Amino acid sequence: MSYLDDELKTALRRTEPPAGFAERVLERAKAPALPEPSWWESLGVLMRPPRLQWVALSVVMSLMIPAAGVYRRERQRAEGEKAKEQLMLAVRVAGGKLHRVQRKVLEMGRMDTRI
Amino acid sequence: MSVAGGTAIRIEEDPEQAAKGEIPAFADIVRDHQSMVFGLAYHFLHDRGLAEELAQEVFLELYRQLDRIESPAHLVFWLRKVASRRCIDQIRRRSFWPKLRLDEVPEPAMKTDGRDPMLSRALSRLVASLPEKPRMVIILRYQEDLAPAEIAQVLDMPVATVKSHLQRSLDMLRDKLARTVGEIAI
Repeated sequence: MSYLDDELKTALRRTEPPAGFAERVLERAKAPALPEPSWWESLGVLMRPPRLQWVALSVVMSLMIPAAGVYRRERQRAEGEKAKEQLMLAVRVAGGKLHRVQRKVLEMGRMDTRI
Repeated sequence: MSVAGGTAIRIEEDPEQAAKGEIPAFADIVRDHQSMVFGLAYHFLHDRGLAEELAQEVFLELYRQLDRIESPAHLVFWLRKVASRRCIDQIRRRSFWPKLRLDEVPEPAMKTDGRDPMLSRALSRLVASLPEKPRMVIILRYQEDLAPAEIAQVLDMPVATVKSHLQRSLDMLRDKLARTVGEIAI
């Protein structure tokens, strides 16, 4: 048994509670048990601070998370539409130019046959 | 188990009364074990008011579950287990406990070479600054004089973990105390 063991045993010996402890326990034991709170009362407890803050935060979060998902999907769809329009415009421009080049080639071919 | 001896006689004398949770038999149980339960709570929480509240709750839970207690030894085991669990839960649930590490606890201003009530108080304060589980391991070891295997049963943890908590906590306490009391062989 070391010095520290001895000192710990002294420091951590059992401690008597304040006077009248047993009587206070018995008084509480004799007191009728509180009835189980109803559903409505439990809801009422949730609506009191500080629980109300947590309830409000949970509601806000549960609304914000799906809303953020919908917003993200809508944004991706809009970006997709925009990219599609740009592609169509590019195709139209390229098609017009190609048509003009083709016409010129044909005209040059006709001039060659006349000569 | 010597601690349970007194209660054993009383419960065995009037088992029906005790099993029904009759007040006189229950009062004897409270008086016989109040120093154990209050001591565990007090050394763990270091607050007499909170310790009394917690000890009362432990006995009220016992009152509701007295019919499940099988023997005096089981009663003592049950009280230690419930008190330990409630102490640890109390610390986790409430953030009242100052987040102090053992290294941050100021060393008590004293120099002594013998037993001293101040030393006991200082040591008790150092124990109270240990993390939850090691703290309860040390309290059960030295207040209740339990072996590591018994502590493991009370706290539902492997014996090796209990031994490791004991070893590390004692090393830390020894180191801290050595700096406090100087050259004494610890």
